[in-house]
Formats: sequence, C-alpha cells, structure tokens
Amino acid sequence: MPPLVHYIAHRLAAALLTLTGAILFLFVIIQFVPGDMISILLGPRATPELRAEFAQRMGLDRSIPEQIWLFFSRAITGDLGTDVISNRKILDMILDVLPNSLQLAGAALLVSTVFGIALGCIAALKPGSTIDTVLGVVSVSFITTPAFVIAIFLLLIFSLQLHWLPVIGAGDPDDPLDRLSHLVLPAMAISITWIGYLARLIRASLLEVLSEQHVRMMRAYGVPEVRIVRHFALRLALVPMIAVMGIGVGDMISNAVFVEVIFARPGVGRLIYEAILLRNFPVVQAGILTTVLIYVTCNMLVDILNAVIDPRIARSLKQAA
Amino acid sequence: MALSLDRRSLLLTASGAAALPLLGLGSRVAFGAEGEITVRIEKDISNLDPANRVGSVEDNIIIAVCQTLARFKPGTTLEWEPDAAKTITQVSETEIAFELHPGQMFTGGYGELTAEDVKFSYERFINPGDAGKKAAYADDWAALDHVEVTGKYTGRILFKNPAPAIFVIGICDGSGGLLSKKATLELGDKIATTLIGSGPYLVKEWKPNDHLTLEVNPDYKGNAPAPYQRIVLKPIPEWQTALLAFQAKEVAFTEIEPTVVGEIEKDPESAVIRIDGIDYEWIGINVEKPPFDNIKVRQAIRYGIDVDAIIAGAWSGTVSRAKTLLAPQLLGHWADAPVYPYDPAKAKALLEEAGASGLKCTLTCLNDARTQAEAQIVQANLAEAGVTVSINAMDPGAYWDLGTPDKSKDLELTIIPYSSKTDPGFQTQWFVSSQVTIWNWQRWKNPEFDKLHVEAGSITDPEERAKKYIRMQQLLDESASCIWITHGVHDFAHAKSLVPAILPNGSNWQYRFFKPA
Repeated sequence: MPPLVHYIAHRLAAALLTLTGAILFLFVIIQFVPGDMISILLGPRATPELRAEFAQRMGLDRSIPEQIWLFFSRAITGDLGTDVISNRKILDMILDVLPNSLQLAGAALLVSTVFGIALGCIAALKPGSTIDTVLGVVSVSFITTPAFVIAIFLLLIFSLQLHWLPVIGAGDPDDPLDRLSHLVLPAMAISITWIGYLARLIRASLLEVLSEQHVRMMRAYGVPEVRIVRHFALRLALVPMIAVMGIGVGDMISNAVFVEVIFARPGVGRLIYEAILLRNFPVVQAGILTTVLIYVTCNMLVDILNAVIDPRIARSLKQAA
Repeated sequence: MALSLDRRSLLLTASGAAALPLLGLGSRVAFGAEGEITVRIEKDISNLDPANRVGSVEDNIIIAVCQTLARFKPGTTLEWEPDAAKTITQVSETEIAFELHPGQMFTGGYGELTAEDVKFSYERFINPGDAGKKAAYADDWAALDHVEVTGKYTGRILFKNPAPAIFVIGICDGSGGLLSKKATLELGDKIATTLIGSGPYLVKEWKPNDHLTLEVNPDYKGNAPAPYQRIVLKPIPEWQTALLAFQAKEVAFTEIEPTVVGEIEKDPESAVIRIDGIDYEWIGINVEKPPFDNIKVRQAIRYGIDVDAIIAGAWSGTVSRAKTLLAPQLLGHWADAPVYPYDPAKAKALLEEAGASGLKCTLTCLNDARTQAEAQIVQANLAEAGVTVSINAMDPGAYWDLGTPDKSKDLELTIIPYSSKTDPGFQTQWFVSSQVTIWNWQRWKNPEFDKLHVEAGSITDPEERAKKYIRMQQLLDESASCIWITHGVHDFAHAKSLVPAILPNGSNWQYRFFKPA
C-alpha cells in the first residue's frame, strides 16, 4: 500500500474512533443530567404519565448500551430519529440549518485567514517597529476578547448606531446580498479571535523563515523582497497555519453557538443549545454528531494536506513504509 | 516593499468597510414593508397541534389560523363573542349548544367546517391517541363527556360535570381551535407543523429557527378579516437581542424587560404597553421539613423577608407586591389579604420561641439573574434575623425536575415562579394535597382547601366561586407556607404605526386583531 494511502486510512480510522468516543461520552453524561424535556416545556402541567411517555418516546427508558446501539445502527443509515415534540425527522432539522452554519464557519475562516495573514506579514516585515508593536497589542486584544462580547459590540456599532447591517436572522435565501449582509457581523465576531491568533502565528513563522540561509542567499542574489515573501517565505510560513486551522474550525463551530444565539441566527450551534436547555437529547446527540463529524473531517483533511505539502512528513511516511 | 503590502491591506480593509452599508441598504425597511409586520416570538414553534402545543407561542398562532366557536374580544378583558359559531348558548351547567355559520372553508381544499369537525376537534383531547398517547392539554377538556352532532352545522357539547372555566381555558383558547377532521387524519403527526384552519390567517411558510409567516387567508369567510397581509414571526430567544432588533426597527412588536421601558419611550416612533401580570411568584416553605413543620418558624421566615426590598432590588421597582395567590384582575382575588411587614426583630423572637435560633437552611431557586438577585436579598434579610441561608441556584432543567415524584421532599425554602391562566382554578390546583409529591413543593395539605377547590371548579355562579377561592387563600395564609412576591408585569414595545391586541394574561396575543394605527 502506498505510504500516503496508508496514512489516509490511518487518519480515517482515528477520525471514526474520535467520532465514536465523542458520542459514547455524550451518552454517558446524559445519564447524569437532571431534568426532563416535558417538565421544562410544560412546567407544572407535566404529569408523571406525560413525562414517562416522553422518556419512552425519546428512548431514554432503555439501557445505555441499547440506546448506543440503536443510535449508531440508525445513524449509519442516515436515520437520526424523530423529534418527539415537533414530530419532524431530526436529520431534516439538522439539514435545514447546516448550510447556515457552514456559511458562517466558511466566512469566518476566510476573513480570519485573509486578515490574519495580512496583519502577520505587515508585522513580520517590520519587526520591532511601531506598527509591529501596535499590531502585537491589537492581535493579543483580539485573541483575549470572547466572541460574544465582540458580537454585542458589533451589533451596537454597525446595526444600532450606524444602521448599516441587520441584527437578526440569516437573511432571505433567495437574495444573496441579503444573505451576505446577515453574514458579515456574525462572521466578524467569530473570526476576530482567529485574526489575532493567525497574525501572531504568521509573524513568528515568517520571521523564522526569513532568517533562514536560503532566504539570505536569495537576498544576496538581489531577488526583490516582495518576491521572496510572496513566492518563497510565505508558502513555508503557511504550513503551521494550515495545521492550526484544523483546530480553528472546531473553535469557530463552538463559538458559533454564542454568535448564533446573539444574532438569532438559525444554525446547528443554536439548535444544540436550545435542545440542551430543553433536555431534548436525541436532537443534542444528532447535533453533536454533526459538529464532531465536521471537526474530525476538517482535521483529517488538514492532516492529509500537511502530508502532501510538507516534504518532512512525506519523507517520514516513506521512511516508515 | 513593506509599504506596498501595507497599503494594499489598508485599501482592502477600507473598501470592505465602505461596502458594508451597501450590503444592508436594499433590505432594510423600518418595521417591515407595507401591509406586513414582523413580530418577535421568544422561541420557535415546536408543535402547532392544539392538543399537544407547547406554550403561548403556538397558542397565538393557533387562534390566528384556526377559528374557535367563540373568541375573546380584542382588548384587555376576557369578554367573548361568537367566532365560527352563529350562536353559542349555555343551555345548562353541563350543556352548551352551538350553530355554525355555513360556508366557512378550511385551507388546503379540506372542505367546509361542520359540526363533525367541532366534535372531532374537542373529543381528541379526551380520547387517547395512537398507542394510548394522552394529549398534553387533555386537562383543558377534562370535564367533557362528548359532543353530539345534531345537524351539519349544529351540535351540543355535553359535560360530565359543570365546567365554569370552559370558555376561558377551552372554547376561546388554543384548546378550542377547530381543526379539519379530514386534514388531521390525513396529516397524522405532520399536524405538529402543518396547521390547517379556517381562520383569518394561514401558515404560509415556516423556516425552522428563522421565521414563520402568517399570510391572510383568501378563503376566510368570518366576520373579522385580517388587517395585515402578512405577519412574520421571528424567534429571538435572547431579550437583549430582541431589544436591539426592535431598536434597529427590524421587529415591530416584542415583549421587553421592564427595566428598558424608559429607553424605548425616548424613541418617537415607538410606544410601550404595560399589562399587570396574573402570574405568581412566591417563596414556598416546606411544611414537612423540620423545623419548618413548626408554624412559628414559618411565620418567622415570613416576617424575616423584606418583599418590598425584593421588588425594589431585583425588579427595579417595576412591579407591585402580591398579597395573595390570585391577582387583582382575577375572579376570587382576596382584596383584604394581610400584608406582612419586614420585621427582623419579630422574626428573631418567633424563632427563639420555636427553639430554632441560629437556623441554617437552603433556598432553592432558578439560576437567572433576577431570581438570583431575589435569593441574595432573602439571604441578607434572613441573616438579620439570625438565619443562615445558602443559595442553591439551578438551571431550568434541573429545577423543574423537582416536580418528579418526591424529588421536592428535601426542599426547604424555594423561590417559585408559576405562569397562570385566567381561571382561578388553574392556580389553586397546584396547592391541593394530591399535588404534594409533584408540584405542591410546600407539601402543605388541607382537606378543606381540597374540598373547596373541587367545589369551586364545578359551580358556575361567579359570586359563589369567588367566595370559595377567597376562603382557600385565607387557608393558605393561615398556613404561613407561602410568601407572595409579585404577579409580575408584561411590558411590550411596539411601533407606533401598529396597534397590538394582547389578552390580560400578557402571554396571549391576538394576531388577528393586530392592526395599523
């Protein structure tokens, strides 16, 4: 088997194991969470019979191994069950909101990458300068400010004061401009932390590459600095960023929960959040399965991409084979 | 060269920022387009089936989409008028006769509303569904025996026993929503999200977690046509986001926190409606748990808590203090109920008398900011009387789980917020002996109270009922098991161009009567 294929198979197995582990963990912790959905929904109107009936309909009256078996055996066939309140297929509920979450995460990824790289390059090209110091302070501020705080400030400034952008929802699906206007603030709120983080990472990485011998040699041969940075140094400096972005996607998905709640934006994060508050465990499980799936897929792709573009990993794979 | 990169980045950023307003311009119309309004709802719909709805969000949609035999008149009283019925008459304490207007059509081509549909709509509450499933709102029609169809448009609603509250909690409410028998049987479980009615609006579109659109029903034949072409309901769970959305003029109507009323009133295009609540929040004392089984200890706690300070501190003085279980607007309100002043010295003396000096106890409450502020005030108050209180704040899931049989037995003091209905029997039902292991967290039992609750629920003379409910509140007061805090308040922000219609409980909004100013 070629080393890369072997590596991909190995990563795939690890991804499946992570997925299974996350769901198993979820099943176990659910057993310790007090409260049931019908009491939360109906308060004192929830009779013991209704509670028992809903527990039975959610499958919570079965043993944990039985619940796990049922969940996985159905999930493999794409059946995530039916929501006991709305009687809707849970898969449909997820698929309804998943595009919004993917758009949000994608936009945030794009914004953080573009601005993170730009700021990192500016700082690295003038190390120790005033602009480097300012960018350092700004980057650290971005990293340390929680997404929900940024979200509220963005709302207050761009929606309430300037009336430039809308507050709530995901926009009209048939109007791309409306969709985009609803995407700007949530994407900014999620990406700001990562802009700061990537700016620091690119700066450090680029400085390291720029001080290497082959770069110094290029300078000695009179290659213009812009060409050195764009065509050689930046490419190498991006390798660690790609690895980090795998984790970044997971972080963005978790931050999306707050942002989706604050912007009243439909998404998987908000679906999970509301399902947890209601103790609607089948929906929680399906939502978590979806996010873990996205997370492990992104990480797997990042690992594979790294193996392809980083000659050191490719070399070690060959040696291992 | 560095300058080159810098400049490009700056240009990129600046052009991006400049494009931001352009993105928003096309779609931003203050408070909605002509003939349309956007209303904030606190959460997305879960189930639109009248018998299995979840709360007032669904309730309000049901009474906009479905006709009822009789409907509440717009305004803040609970007077009703015929809706789908041409006539509706209380023949006796156990019989109501009705005649429908002919020619009222269900949407979706499901035909005409007939007495058979009325029978089906009501009896499904008391007949268990598939696999013996009991309807969540079965209790609203618990007194129903059956509906007799006497003609295509006529019938008799027959009760097992008198049901004095049936108009308020059954016929005019969401539980009275008239469904098409044919559609309901055909749709099965899909009725949860596909509501077929004959009312002034129809559900045009539902995008989960984003919006639900009510559109005028072109086939509506009733006498209260919809004033708006379209009402868009946007689920916004967070109060703060709802406020921002209103201030940004993206929603034209929303319930708001009482503390932001002043801020809204500054806007010349906005107005605020305040409705005194009929809900009830109180501190329950578990009378079975020593030393609270001693009435002197309970009385001491009652004197040791400064309810006015709770109102001032946790509610910013925006609500009035409750004296008793039933709010002033309700039948059976005990107007002469005593108000217990804050008197830590008296509380201390009573505790000494009861041999409970240096008492330590736990106060259980919800973990929202306001309730926790209330708990902290109680903690500080009781410290003055020598009582050490530890606060156990719980998330709603864990808190309401205390209603699981016997989980409430170890509670000591509990801050309890209950929502209410406009019939007093809905409120008193949680204090009867049979609720002791479930929702009666005071675990107080009184045979006279139980008897009065049953009697008051089965007579129709309002004066007689009122007397019984007052006596029940007196018994509760004598037990010193409840310290009443407030009936709450509902504040609503709305565009001045809109006249909303809200029922006295504050939770039920009559979209069909929302109209342009």
